[in-house]
Amino acid sequence: MFSFFAVFFLAALSTLVHAKSSNGNSVLIIAADAQRDEFSTFFADLKEEGYELSFREPKADKPALVEYDVPAFSHVVILASESKIFAKDITPQSLVELVSGGTNLLLGLSQKQTPLSSLAAEFSLILPPPGTPLLSFFPERKEAPSLIPITPPASSHILSADLGPVWFSGIPIALGNNPLLFPILPAPAESFGGDLNSGADALVDASEKTGEGLWAGSSVSVAAGFQALSGARVTWLGGVDMLKDELIKKTASRGVRSGNQQFGRDITAWTFQENLVLRIDSTEHHLVNASEALESYTTNDNIVFSAHISHFNPRSGKWNPYSGIQDMQLEFTMLDPHIRIPLPPVPGSLGKYSTSFRAPDRHGVFKFVVDYKRKGWTHLQSSTTVSLVPPRHDGYPRFLSAAWPFYVGAISTSVAFFAFSAAWLAGDSREGKKAKGAKAQ
Amino acid sequence: MPPKPAAPPASASSAPAQSTSAVQTLWKAYNDQTSNRLKFIDSFLVFLMLSGIVQFLYCVLVTTYPYNAFLAGFSSTVGQFVLTASLRSQVNPENKNEYKEVSPERAFADFALGSIVLHFFVFNFLG
Repeated sequence: MFSFFAVFFLAALSTLVHAKSSNGNSVLIIAADAQRDEFSTFFADLKEEGYELSFREPKADKPALVEYDVPAFSHVVILASESKIFAKDITPQSLVELVSGGTNLLLGLSQKQTPLSSLAAEFSLILPPPGTPLLSFFPERKEAPSLIPITPPASSHILSADLGPVWFSGIPIALGNNPLLFPILPAPAESFGGDLNSGADALVDASEKTGEGLWAGSSVSVAAGFQALSGARVTWLGGVDMLKDELIKKTASRGVRSGNQQFGRDITAWTFQENLVLRIDSTEHHLVNASEALESYTTNDNIVFSAHISHFNPRSGKWNPYSGIQDMQLEFTMLDPHIRIPLPPVPGSLGKYSTSFRAPDRHGVFKFVVDYKRKGWTHLQSSTTVSLVPPRHDGYPRFLSAAWPFYVGAISTSVAFFAFSAAWLAGDSREGKKAKGAKAQ
Repeated sequence: MPPKPAAPPASASSAPAQSTSAVQTLWKAYNDQTSNRLKFIDSFLVFLMLSGIVQFLYCVLVTTYPYNAFLAGFSSTVGQFVLTASLRSQVNPENKNEYKEVSPERAFADFALGSIVLHFFVFNFLG
């Protein structure tokens, strides 16, 4: 008994210590051994946060990504961005399968054509031709044009508010029109993808081929996020240099410390599902002025629908009720939404969102659907099926004042029928006598 | 047919006069030649017809809303009218040859049973 409690206590303690991500703490880092020293600060930060790091050479066989059909790691980071040859189990297909299974990925791209470049197309990223890094001659500085300090956007869910300029060296990423894809760090407005050594012909040809225009300006990104339908998150970096010690230690132009270290922390916090993680704990529905859920409602009933939503707190590792969503909607659908109304938070009751509505005058199998997808946030999806039936035979309104002429008509017909029958029978006997009398005469 | 010889001179003078006189002669003939029992049935039929017309006008001009109530009320008058009309034709002594097997008592029993069933459905449907 005591040992059981000890084990339980230790387990509880370990979850307290290592409860950083809502998805697990095992991280596989795929990087060449020679690279490992260059990223020491990045790795140290991750360890400090409570992640268990495993390392693997791009060409090594172990540790495996998937063991016995189960993903072996919660998060996979591929820093070997220039490696052209990976081990057999690291292919674009296997990485897509990992994402479908819920594993988070942090992937670095490079100027070279690698297996990751072909994976990027699967995520609607449009990469420039090989050998065309992002260049910018502004602000004026002594560094090469391909090493650019990027000021983070003013408002971002993912990046810290006080993030300093981030040193970047790598390729620009144009984003396709996949709704799950969004920019995390846009490129500066005056930057462009180009080749300093040769002419721009290759780039112009490529841009004409894809029809996406040149890789220039703030519409392209250097870091992009992808929130998969499985809940897994994928972050693409235009170059992995920004996570290296060299650029973390490098000061930004005005003597300000560069934001690279904090940037690495911010993107791993998002990618590893620490931040912006929501879930629907429960949903309930019932009639107004009732509390029990019904399997079927009657047309035109007034129905209350409530959802309880929690937010993952990475500091405590617990799910806390969350009332911060203002733009959630409830749909009452039968093939199409018959009703789509706001589902606002209930003031005074934390984490509860509730609304009431009148069911449509249409019977069939309906669903309460909550489908909340916002860039960067976990998708919230919930669907509850109920049937909507017409009123029962005795469920209709009765004795309506508008129907009195019809009631009077029906009742008078019946009364007249009885009066007629009585008179007929009475007259019959009299007439019968008369007839007899007539015969007698 | 005693009124017939009187008609031709009237038609020569004017059409309205002829039609008035035709209605009058029809009415007179009806009063003279119809037995009291058939007149009694006819008055019931007139009542049913008026009641049905009133309900129909109310439904068309005012509201169709409880439509089932309209159907019940209107069909009760129509149904009762049909049943009563068949009773009238069966008890009419002029039709004796056509309804040889149906005695007036039997005709009334049919009428009463049919009416009771009709009213059962009407009140069930009235809401």
